[in-house]
Amino acid sequence: MSTLKHKGKGPQSMTANELRDGFSVWLDENLDWTRDFSKALRTEDQDLIDRMHLRAETDEKSNLVVGIYFIDIEPDTGLPARYREKFRVNGPSYDTADLLETN
Amino acid sequence: MYRYDEFDAQLVAERTRQFRGQVERRLAGRLSEAEFRPLRLMNGLYLQLHAYMLRVAVPYGTLNSEQFRMLAHLAEKYDRGYGHITTRQNMQFNWPKLPDVPDMLDNLASVQMHAIQTSGNCIRNVTCDPYAGATAEEVEDPRPMAELIRQWSTLHPEFSFLPRKFKIAVTAAEKDRALIKAHDIGIQIILNEDGDVGYKIYVGGGLGRTPIIGQVLREFLSKGELLAYLTAALRVYNRYGRRDNKYKARIKILVQETGIESFREQVEAEYATIDVSDISVSDAERDRISSYFAPPEFEALANEPKALTDALDANRAFSLWAKNNVAAHKAPGYAIVNISLKPKDLAPGDITATQMRAVSDMADKFSFGELRSTHQQNLVLPHVKQADLPVLFEELEAAGLAADNINLITDIICCPGMDFCALATARSIPISQAIAERFADPERQRTIGEMQIKISGCINACGHHHVGHIGILGLEKAGVEFYQVKLGGDASEHAEIGKVTGPGFSQEELIDGIENMVDLYLKQREAGERFLDTYRRIGIAPFKEVLYA
Repeated sequence: MSTLKHKGKGPQSMTANELRDGFSVWLDENLDWTRDFSKALRTEDQDLIDRMHLRAETDEKSNLVVGIYFIDIEPDTGLPARYREKFRVNGPSYDTADLLETN
Repeated sequence: MYRYDEFDAQLVAERTRQFRGQVERRLAGRLSEAEFRPLRLMNGLYLQLHAYMLRVAVPYGTLNSEQFRMLAHLAEKYDRGYGHITTRQNMQFNWPKLPDVPDMLDNLASVQMHAIQTSGNCIRNVTCDPYAGATAEEVEDPRPMAELIRQWSTLHPEFSFLPRKFKIAVTAAEKDRALIKAHDIGIQIILNEDGDVGYKIYVGGGLGRTPIIGQVLREFLSKGELLAYLTAALRVYNRYGRRDNKYKARIKILVQETGIESFREQVEAEYATIDVSDISVSDAERDRISSYFAPPEFEALANEPKALTDALDANRAFSLWAKNNVAAHKAPGYAIVNISLKPKDLAPGDITATQMRAVSDMADKFSFGELRSTHQQNLVLPHVKQADLPVLFEELEAAGLAADNINLITDIICCPGMDFCALATARSIPISQAIAERFADPERQRTIGEMQIKISGCINACGHHHVGHIGILGLEKAGVEFYQVKLGGDASEHAEIGKVTGPGFSQEELIDGIENMVDLYLKQREAGERFLDTYRRIGIAPFKEVLYA
């Protein structure tokens, strides 16, 4: 779960972790959860943001996801503003598992 | 090795059944995350940056081959084919799925393992000298005492909700391989003037955001007093440790704010109220526990057998590995073998399932089925015949585990950092890999000699950077990682916290700076000096100068 520093200004995305598998997910344009950040909904539209919040809260109560929170998005790049969130988008820069898969 | 008695087996089985029910209720929505989180943490299950992480306890770092094979099985069946040895001698899996965790715990219970108290504000897994029971340097094997503390502290009703986590480390040798002075309580088994075996107790050590070296709480504690005295110390901490601020909640802060003299008086006063006979275990029970750690039946052998000396002469790679990775054993004709988990292409402490099985086979073949994990994120085969070393080396080579860099510049302690950890502020694995790459030449590593580089990805200091000869702390500002350097830390019996050099660096600047400092050391060192010795002799200024050049 994010610890802090969500400014709530500019474009936003909603993120969480899947309850069962634990993977990072983001709400997409259909307000479904995706593991692929490139499909994440990034918006400044307050109505949409309210709908995202409601959907996320509902899904958290329905035990689909855990630890919902909004993240700030850089308008220019469409990437998360915080370094930590940029990192969640990309996954580990190193994982021994990747080495095993290539061998 | 210790074998669970019926109470241990029942306790772990019940706990696993409980957790299975809790997971089922969570998945069915009958437990909220707020309700479930403390329950999963009590069973070693974290939700990290990208996924869940399960931390499995390896009590005092001792494993048998059957247990290590089970860890390999878990890595393969429920994770992504590897595990990670932590700086507290445990094993972490980075990618488990919540519905699978109860099965993982069942599997662990089948080989007398669990994940209890690998998280939470309780007494954590007791860590220990990885050479325990094998080195001639020790007063006695410290593991029976560590096992006694494990039994006493497991689900201890009074100490399950302490102000903060509580870590105990034990050793029985003057040479400290367990970092006892950087633990909440460190215990050294010693002999007093009368030749009685007892304990020297250190308190208030710790790393994290406020690094402090532990101080002596009791110079000598007789064996029968141990649990009662620990109870007294924990009670004082439980009563006066701060609960209003988690960053000031560790016992080190209490000891620092109270003063060691005053803290000692409080502990002794509390101790005086305890009926020692209520808590202490009988000699018979201590003997029963000790019997599980009885030395294996060593053959009567001579040191330096021909099979060894011939191989040392004939095979340079073997000779270099043996010189660096093999330590003296208490039994003639035997050796302690360190297996480096620091090859250039893996993250420090990572080991694949295939390698775990290979090491298990080697433990069976060469080391009475026993192995150890170390806080330096390596493995140890404690009891290997010297004559078997050449064949063992061949098998390690075949398994990709023959790196001959123990205690050298590429034997780096490194936390998972931002690549996995939810608390991290910067990556640490790429830094360790960049250093390993820069100093890849084995001859150069040997020329540099003993060097401990330790890297943490945040101020919580799981990578022990405060006590590295060179310590590296990863931070982030405005979306850019940078790395602060400490110099002169020491994780040995002469424990010392390193000094910050100044402003941080980018990764590229950092690696160049480290190389500059190493070059300076090589120019300045006097006969027999390690990097740390030269640093102590000439001071921080010349190193800072080349670091910031």
